[in-house]
Amino acid sequence: MSLYNFKKIVIVPTAKDFIDIVLSKTQRKTPTVVHKQYKISRIRQFYMRKVKFSQQTFHDKLSTILTDFPKLDDIHPFYADLMNVLYDKDHYKLALGQINIALHLIDNVSKDYVRLLKYGDSLYRCKQLKKAALGRMATIMKRQAQSLQYLEQVRQHLSRLPSIDPNTRTLLICGFPNVGKSSFINKITRADVEVQPYAFTTKSLFVGHTDHRYLRWQVVDTPGILDHPLENRNTIEMQAIAALAHLRAAILYVMDISEQCGHTIEQQVALFESIKPLFANKPLLVVLNKTDVIRLEELKPEQKTLIQGFINDDIPVMEMSTLSEEGVMAVKTEACERLLAHRIEVKIKSKKVEGILNRLHVAVPKPRDGVVRPAFVPENVIKQRLTKEPKPKKKTERDLEVELEDDYSLDLKKNYDLPADFKYDVIPEFWEGKNIADYIDPDIMAKLEELEREEELRIESGVYDKEEEEMDDEEKEIHRLAGKIREKKAIIAIESRIGRSGGAPVMPRAGRKRERSVSRLRSEFEELGVDMSNKSGAHFSRTKSRSASRPPIKKARADSTGRVSSSSRVTPRDQSGIRNVELKAKAKKMGHKAQGKMNQFGKAGEADRHIAVKMPRHLYSGKRGIGKTDRR
Amino acid sequence: MPQNEHIELFQKRYGFRMDYQERQRKKKAREHKLQSKMAQKLIGIKGKIFAKKRYSEKVQLKRTIKAHEEKKTRKKDEGKVPEGAMPAYLLDRENTSQAKLLSSMVKQKRKEKAGKWDVPLPKVRAQSEAEVFRVLKTGKSRRKGWKRLVTKVCFVGEGFTRKPPKYERFVRPMALRFKKAHVTHPELKATFCLPIVGVKKNPSSPMYTSLGVITKGTIIEVNVSELGLVTQGGKVVWGKYAQVTNNPENDGCINAILLV
Repeated sequence: MSLYNFKKIVIVPTAKDFIDIVLSKTQRKTPTVVHKQYKISRIRQFYMRKVKFSQQTFHDKLSTILTDFPKLDDIHPFYADLMNVLYDKDHYKLALGQINIALHLIDNVSKDYVRLLKYGDSLYRCKQLKKAALGRMATIMKRQAQSLQYLEQVRQHLSRLPSIDPNTRTLLICGFPNVGKSSFINKITRADVEVQPYAFTTKSLFVGHTDHRYLRWQVVDTPGILDHPLENRNTIEMQAIAALAHLRAAILYVMDISEQCGHTIEQQVALFESIKPLFANKPLLVVLNKTDVIRLEELKPEQKTLIQGFINDDIPVMEMSTLSEEGVMAVKTEACERLLAHRIEVKIKSKKVEGILNRLHVAVPKPRDGVVRPAFVPENVIKQRLTKEPKPKKKTERDLEVELEDDYSLDLKKNYDLPADFKYDVIPEFWEGKNIADYIDPDIMAKLEELEREEELRIESGVYDKEEEEMDDEEKEIHRLAGKIREKKAIIAIESRIGRSGGAPVMPRAGRKRERSVSRLRSEFEELGVDMSNKSGAHFSRTKSRSASRPPIKKARADSTGRVSSSSRVTPRDQSGIRNVELKAKAKKMGHKAQGKMNQFGKAGEADRHIAVKMPRHLYSGKRGIGKTDRR
Repeated sequence: MPQNEHIELFQKRYGFRMDYQERQRKKKAREHKLQSKMAQKLIGIKGKIFAKKRYSEKVQLKRTIKAHEEKKTRKKDEGKVPEGAMPAYLLDRENTSQAKLLSSMVKQKRKEKAGKWDVPLPKVRAQSEAEVFRVLKTGKSRRKGWKRLVTKVCFVGEGFTRKPPKYERFVRPMALRFKKAHVTHPELKATFCLPIVGVKKNPSSPMYTSLGVITKGTIIEVNVSELGLVTQGGKVVWGKYAQVTNNPENDGCINAILLV
């Protein structure tokens, strides 16, 4: 698995912390209480659990460390080489090996002591065995203190390495120290690399990203390389060498022709020759920097011939100056183009391209007949185009900006349609809820009068007269009825609003039987316009009784609105038994209070004693923390 | 500076806040308050660990203070002569006082009476049979109780094979059989893990010796060829006696002192 980003490695604690973490975890996560009067099997189980739990925890933590750290054989050779340079492959492997050994030792200790615990016949003995087991594991970890410390430092440094993707398009910048590599990368990318006059300002690899042809390009800045044999190189230079050796990138060899870096052109060319083997199979570009100081033509003839040597070897030489920014983009474009061409070439040569080419098919429409149909422009149009003078190009703000350079300032008010003296005045947009722009026009009153005149004319001429549509009788009838229905609805709504008296107790329906009387029915239907005069035989009318001598039926005394009232006036229930207004308020409040608790617990009534959850988990589980114990 | 050390880069370019140094100083000055608060608040196992750590810190502090103070004060050099120092012309004489002779005689007599030997642990607690053996009930209804399970650590030789299980009276479980002992050389103060050759004598009972039971005070014979000891005559010493100094059944290992 290739990781380009080593930020997810677990933190490696120091030996002391490691032991503390595991032992306190054992203490928290296993049962803590045992007495000597328990059955011996229970005591044994208790202590065996502790030993096994500690072993498990140690095992888990150590194995995550072992799996998280990258194996040097599994990652990209660039990163393997870089890690070798920075951390020493042997030391790294040894440290991880020691951790592995510790892991196995701890497992063995646990196995042995669990076996011994099976023969423990007293609490004291089991306890001593568990103490010995945990102590042994702790000593094993204490011996790993050095390895753990080293691995923690490696992890911190590893997580800070810049995330360089070894497989994507990359430009690699190399050369002597102080030639201007970091300035170059600062110019083309957003990487903020430190630029200082002393050598070896850049001490590690830096990465920046730039765009070309809608693709993302990685630009890698290396520390400067000095010209001495490989064995004498220090760690910083070795990083640059590792990058050169393993990244398939376009190489930009930067040279300082003004010799301000402290090395002559001859030395720089010598360095080039010595690291030439690293440039095999990679598109190469020699870049001459600091041309603002001295140009290529102004060089001495001997130096010119050296540079001519590059050109003779088919290596493109380009000039640029990072200070004055001339030629920087040209260099970038050239390098990108070369790399792109190279990558395409490589891809074509590889076997994978066969598979892609097999799947690609450019469809060309089949010609219907042999007639050629080129583009056709009539002659007159061509003539016209030639004689027409070119439209004058409108001067844009950008042109103005370019012209005036530093004197340019954006003036959005210069095209306003106002007289010059108050064009630049500062005015508000709204005032007293009205748009000021509506009132700015000097002829506004005249315009208003004109509009009004126009309006009068229109009204006179009858533009706004509504056309009376001729309705036939049916439609008229429908209209009338609709009006009546609306009216009735409104009346009902108003009546119901009046009728509703805020929760006053209402008599049950059975007591309101007398409301629905025949006379009421008759009066309501008359209102609606139904003819009720000769409805003597109807169902709703009372039929004549058989016997003549019947006692007179008690008729409900209805008032003008038809509402029935009983003979004795009964006080409504919320007023009965209460002497005055304060008592009434108090009684009401007591009623509300009693309701409140029932509502809160969702009780159906006073007698509801249902409990939804008999053993809520948060009260019946977990260990007791520090706190009072007078409550379950 | 590496590319992603943003904090350090910013600090390098723009420096610190105006009151940064002041704040750091004040924070440090407040640290003792936090420590004392922790010391009061923490209880239980965390409290114990914290107290232990703090105690060791305090001890270190006191030592350094004392060392500093010693340098400051000047002590009068009294020209002390250590006790028992003799002038050079008297060195060859052996001065044993009368009292010393008497006391050594008495001690010798006492030793012979008690049967103590000249070993690092002269007296050990005797282990009763109830301690060392546990009754194993066998038989179909688990009524027969003639078998015994050894509950202490034991050593069986290399070519050891059990008696047929039906007839073996003393069961020595495999978990309790040890082959190696951690032997300390009393003069070199170094400890080696040496293989056991045999059990020479168990002070509690000769039966234990024959069974190979190792308890505290047992004399065992260990293979010291690792140490490379050579006799006067040029022969290589490969076996030496050692006495067990811990309770192996409680610690899971046999610690012994070499008898030189």
